[in-house]
Amino acid sequence: MKPDGKVVLLGDMNVGKTSLLHRYMERRFQDTVSTVGGAFYLKQWGPHNISIWDTAGREQFHGLGSMYCRGAAAVILTYDVTNLQSMVELEDRFLALTDSASPDCLFIVAGNKVDLTDACAFLPESEDKQIEKPPNSFISTKVKKQVHVNDAIAFYRKILKYKMLDEVNAPAAEKMCFETSAKTGYNVDHLFETIFEMVVPVILQQKAEGLPQTVDLNNCKTAKNTHSGCCR
Amino acid sequence: MENEDPGLPCKGGMDLPEQKRGLDPTDRYGDESCSVSEKQEEAPAAPNNGPLNMVVDKVNGQEELREAPEELSDKDVSDSTSIDNTWEDSSEFRRQMVIGDGPSGEEEAVIQSRLATYRDEDVTAESWRAHRKHVFILSEAGKPIYSRYGNEEALSSTMGVMMALVSFIQSGDNSIRSIYSDDHKLVFVQQGPLVLVSVSHTLQSEQQLRQELLYVYDQIISMLTQASITRIFERKKNYDLRRLLTGSEKILDRLLNLVESDPCFLLGAVRCLPLPASLRDSLGTLLQKAITPNLVFSILVARSQLVTTVQEKTVIEDCRLEPTDLHLLLNLIGATSAFQTGEIWTPICLPRFNPDCYFYAYISYLDSECTVCLILLSTDKDSFYSVSDCKKRIEEGMRTQNYLQALSSGLKSPSYSVGLVGVPDLRHFMYKPLDIPDNYRQLPQFTSPELEGPYCSENERHRLFDLYHYLHGRIHSTSRPLRLIYHVAEKETLLAWVTSKFELYTCFNPLVTKAGAINVLTKLLRWIKKEEDRLFIRYPPKYSTTPNPGKGSRAPRTDGTENGFFGGGH
Repeated sequence: MKPDGKVVLLGDMNVGKTSLLHRYMERRFQDTVSTVGGAFYLKQWGPHNISIWDTAGREQFHGLGSMYCRGAAAVILTYDVTNLQSMVELEDRFLALTDSASPDCLFIVAGNKVDLTDACAFLPESEDKQIEKPPNSFISTKVKKQVHVNDAIAFYRKILKYKMLDEVNAPAAEKMCFETSAKTGYNVDHLFETIFEMVVPVILQQKAEGLPQTVDLNNCKTAKNTHSGCCR
Repeated sequence: MENEDPGLPCKGGMDLPEQKRGLDPTDRYGDESCSVSEKQEEAPAAPNNGPLNMVVDKVNGQEELREAPEELSDKDVSDSTSIDNTWEDSSEFRRQMVIGDGPSGEEEAVIQSRLATYRDEDVTAESWRAHRKHVFILSEAGKPIYSRYGNEEALSSTMGVMMALVSFIQSGDNSIRSIYSDDHKLVFVQQGPLVLVSVSHTLQSEQQLRQELLYVYDQIISMLTQASITRIFERKKNYDLRRLLTGSEKILDRLLNLVESDPCFLLGAVRCLPLPASLRDSLGTLLQKAITPNLVFSILVARSQLVTTVQEKTVIEDCRLEPTDLHLLLNLIGATSAFQTGEIWTPICLPRFNPDCYFYAYISYLDSECTVCLILLSTDKDSFYSVSDCKKRIEEGMRTQNYLQALSSGLKSPSYSVGLVGVPDLRHFMYKPLDIPDNYRQLPQFTSPELEGPYCSENERHRLFDLYHYLHGRIHSTSRPLRLIYHVAEKETLLAWVTSKFELYTCFNPLVTKAGAINVLTKLLRWIKKEEDRLFIRYPPKYSTTPNPGKGSRAPRTDGTENGFFGGGH
């Protein structure tokens, strides 16, 4: 049995992809260790079976990303708000993996670990971006946010450009960028439920058109533009 | 002692030198015709005063030099100049690396280091130096790849010295195998472009330490394959392999803890979950039926103990599942986030089966406590959904027959209690049958009860396994193998015995007499005989024949690039 739609979590290692999913599926936060390959979860959403692939962020598994992304209806590009590099990696390493996703794939940008940031520290961005090392779980003190919502929105616009999608037709950037905390649960349900709501029309359309689950990219190049406006 | 008949009178026990001191390496070469009484005087009294002994292997692998330095010039050593020079290097090495400490220092260090993360340890601290066993991995270019304790970056100069040693000796057409100091052994293993070094002051033999390093190497191979590592370093000699291994340190850390505490690595055998033979057979049949093209191995484990395994028929002719591959696979799974609701799909290499190829592993837990784990290995990377479907069939079959409940009742405790044997003097044992039926020779097994009694703390467990390692090292010594060894240690008495039918290590309480121990052995062997259908897989399931095995069924594909494992690395 194949599920109806596919959602893929992408992002650098240690940004909290597994934790996010675990928070949503199991309703709790648990210290996780590095994922190998990819892990498959099934979520019943109304009458639909939505599959969620949690992928490994490690470079070791990098090339597999496009395999897990094949035919995806939505890709969640995840970064760590306290680690600028994790945002840079999204653009450098992960965006290209989404080439194998469905042509009408939705893109969601999620910044995790907001619980670690100092809520009051909405200071203007400083130059010393690269000095801080990725936060480990035992660091209790709050750290300064390195990536802000505006950066995520700017990145989302880059994605649209990369996909050659028209901003007017694509979902609004503000709607597609989330800040979450897997640890406290902040915004996690909202993130996933919004995505599922948006994915359902894509699934229905795919079903109506009888599109195969796995999309041959070469055949879909032309289809891109016609499908781009479907998901709102 | 080396007699085969346990009934022969023995001369008496011996005390082991305290574990921190380590054994005098030269005693292997001493006359051991009656090692028991002789060692009693020799071992504690003869700490080797020469600072270091170095073992260099001629490339032809035959010649070993094991001399104290002052004697070196007297000997007719074909390559004496290079040895002398190396000697100077190595004493410098020792100044940096090799520190002998009192036992209290060591214990404190262990406790302290547990509090902090090993990775963040200060490599200049005494506590860092006091660890029982360090393991370092570096590339041939001298780039640090991994250190068990402390940040490998901070150790780059130390690793530089190691590489200097390796390449210096290499330049004389030799390869360095080990360095002995009075309380430490340094063992070097070179595998392709990687150099692995173990620095230990345990009782383990050089051979055992070498074996452990090979396990570490194989674990790396299981994640990256040998072919891709070779290719990476061919392309770029000073490639930083940490790029591909970040996130995997925990897997190696866990492996190194396991090799010290789980006898399956020492014995090279698989531990089976004790189960009624009928239940095991039914589960095997279930696995056998739930197959799909290109599914090669189906493995069912519970708490890292094997329940049963089925393999595809065409595979068996040229290859087989090795215990090492299973251990490494289970270690990798154990070090990975697992939730019952998730199904993992990941490429994995079985290094002993084929070091250059990937299988695709489907890993899923069948119970909510994540104790019963199903592993299905396929050669087709696109077969996730059909393999996942096999799992559903297996799950369904287990549900309708109530197998899962039957399994979990056998899982209440990690293993069984030694009390079941019914002899009070016996504290613990490890038994590896060597007379297993022919058709299952490919999967050596062993059985061992849970550790109880005085071996509850980690220190005590280490102490017991140190003793086991010591006995195993004596039994399997390349120069003077023994068949039977009766060993009176400080707090227990041990007896190890190898015959054509089994390999057995037993631990008794210290007051046991020799006759008493022999008596216990007889009872133990009788008990094992009675229980063997439950303790071991005696009659493995027949091989499965997957329908229309596709092109990849015989051997997995060799292409690493396709999996993209190092696609992003350049």
